[in-house]
Amino acid sequence: MPTTAIAWSLLLPPAARRVAGQSLLAVFALAAVTLACAWYQPAEPQLTTAALLYLVIVVFLSLNGSFTAAITVSIIAVVFLQDLAAPPLFSLSFNEPLDLIALSSFLTTALVITRLVSRMRGSLEKLRASLEELGRAEKATRQQAALLDLTHDTVVVRDTQDVITFWNRGAQELYGWSATQAVGRVVHALLHTKFPVPLAQITEQLHSTGRWEGELIQTRQDSSEVVVASRWSLQRNEAALPAATLETNNDITAHKQAQDALLQAQTELARITRVTTLGELAASIAHEVNQPLTAIVADANAALNWLAMEDPNLNVVRETLTAIVKDSERAAEVLTRIRGMLSRSSQPFQACDLGVVVRETLPLVRSEFTRHSVRVEIELSADLPLVLGDFILLQQVLLNLLVNAAEASREVDPARRVVTVGTLMQRDDARLSSVLQVRDAGVGIREADLPQLFEAFYTTKPEGLGMGLSISSAILERHGGRLWVTANLDYGVTFHFSIPALVS
Amino acid sequence: MNAARALIHIVDDDESIRRSLRGLVESAGHAAATYPSAQDFLTASRPDTPGCLVLDVQMPGLSGLDLQRQLAAGEGALPIIFLTGRGNIPMSVQAMKAGAVEFLTKPIDAPALLAAIGHAVERDRAVRAERSGLDELRGRYQSLTPRERDVMHGIVAGRLNKQIAAEFGTSEATVKEQRGQVMHKMAADSLAALVRIAERLGIRSEGRSYPTKDG
Repeated sequence: MPTTAIAWSLLLPPAARRVAGQSLLAVFALAAVTLACAWYQPAEPQLTTAALLYLVIVVFLSLNGSFTAAITVSIIAVVFLQDLAAPPLFSLSFNEPLDLIALSSFLTTALVITRLVSRMRGSLEKLRASLEELGRAEKATRQQAALLDLTHDTVVVRDTQDVITFWNRGAQELYGWSATQAVGRVVHALLHTKFPVPLAQITEQLHSTGRWEGELIQTRQDSSEVVVASRWSLQRNEAALPAATLETNNDITAHKQAQDALLQAQTELARITRVTTLGELAASIAHEVNQPLTAIVADANAALNWLAMEDPNLNVVRETLTAIVKDSERAAEVLTRIRGMLSRSSQPFQACDLGVVVRETLPLVRSEFTRHSVRVEIELSADLPLVLGDFILLQQVLLNLLVNAAEASREVDPARRVVTVGTLMQRDDARLSSVLQVRDAGVGIREADLPQLFEAFYTTKPEGLGMGLSISSAILERHGGRLWVTANLDYGVTFHFSIPALVS
Repeated sequence: MNAARALIHIVDDDESIRRSLRGLVESAGHAAATYPSAQDFLTASRPDTPGCLVLDVQMPGLSGLDLQRQLAAGEGALPIIFLTGRGNIPMSVQAMKAGAVEFLTKPIDAPALLAAIGHAVERDRAVRAERSGLDELRGRYQSLTPRERDVMHGIVAGRLNKQIAAEFGTSEATVKEQRGQVMHKMAADSLAALVRIAERLGIRSEGRSYPTKDG
């Protein structure tokens, strides 16, 4: 019989098997208690003592076993209690039923205890689970922090008041302060951070998009400055309020210095190319100064002649002197333009009108065009958007394109010696650009020369340096724009450059 | 506004230069006409008054040198003063060979330009005077009969009346009478004067040419 039960129990799932096992054990315990009570005072078994002992068994079972087993055993205990009250023992004849109230009290007490213990156990288990979870999380955090110490990037976490709460080894290596020195300090004060835009603007972006990226200049413990590429991420709490900011910084000082050196070299090269171009145009530029000077000399002599007459006409003299003033200004303007183009320093980018670039550059080459009997036509767009740039550099690009166009045109049939300079607005997707075009009907560019056209030291001219277009291309890149060339359907080529429009 | 005032033609593509040169020329007592291009000068109707041309070498379209070449082909060419922003020797040599009066560089020396204009105008007046005198002589020569012309050729070749009469088979008296007609018609008061006239008309002493107004 027990063998069969065991065999059967093996078919049950493990949980049920455990319940069955515990119940079986409890039933043996109940039987033992019942036997003990019956043996101790066979004539008048102590029902109260038995009931109390039963309860103890039920409590033990509740504490260690399952809820189901405890209930089952409680019910079985009632049966045993009934049996004990009506000898002979294990006769299972209930001829004299127990007091119903006593029985149900026992059952209720057993059930309540079972329930209470079971609940207590549930809470305990939950507590243990969360404690374990906590332990695991802490371990993971420690592991992550250790990992963050491995990276060369600096990782700094700061709270909403910008007070440092985490400082990894990378940060210590870069800035010099240890985590103990840094944690608790306000990050921007500690590092004397210089921001590219006002901090309020950065904070606003951080709060609206959750992140920010940019270049910062910070100061190390040894007072030296370091340029970092900084990425900020905002962490929010359960209430979606900002809780902390993770700042990852990358030392780009060396990269920045190399970039600055490159930019400086490029600027100098651009200037040298510009000066070379102006040198080639020297005769034409001298002509541009000579014209107003000629007028001034003629006017001044005329004024003297008028004044030498008897009863001189002062109105004529006044007109002549006014003309002298005007021509002096014209000569001065040419010189100002030249001085600007010869200037060494590069200017900070500002709003430029490509139409003005055209108007300011043409006078420098007008005479060059006349010399080769090349006509210039201007087609300026009236509503061209402004662009952000360096006026002198843009002028240099145009100057270079115009000189090339004049050169390409001077050998062709006189009817084709026309260079058209135009500006237009271009819309690409949602992006607006200002475009400048220089079109000639000259000799054109050989297919074989096209791929290398914008490369440095590549030239098709016997006396060319091969720098013009390469510098021009680099200048456009610095403006976020580009320079390209297309062949015209009939004769010659058109050079185009486009720069993103300045969004106001 | 007297008729003797010379008219200075100024051709330059630069408005300032045209205006200022006009002022300078007028302040020196000449009249001025300005043209923005060589083409404009060619197509303009110009009064046939003494003067000169002040011409910019480098202009869009027809250059100053091109204009000089075109004008030289026609008759009644004005003396030319060239102005240039970048004078080079080959260019000035070419201009001077083609008959330019002056070749001045900008910025100009105003007194030098006025002096050059003065010379050019004088030269133009002289050429015009020469031309009108020659026209008159040609008219006189045209009025001679063929025989009188033969006699004139004989006289300026240094032949005696007797020799001429023998050549044409007439009497010496006839030749003498015809000689008187020639002297009268050609308004020559002496043999020397007649020889000079013949020289201006291009009649060679031994020649048989008969220059006419068209020739």
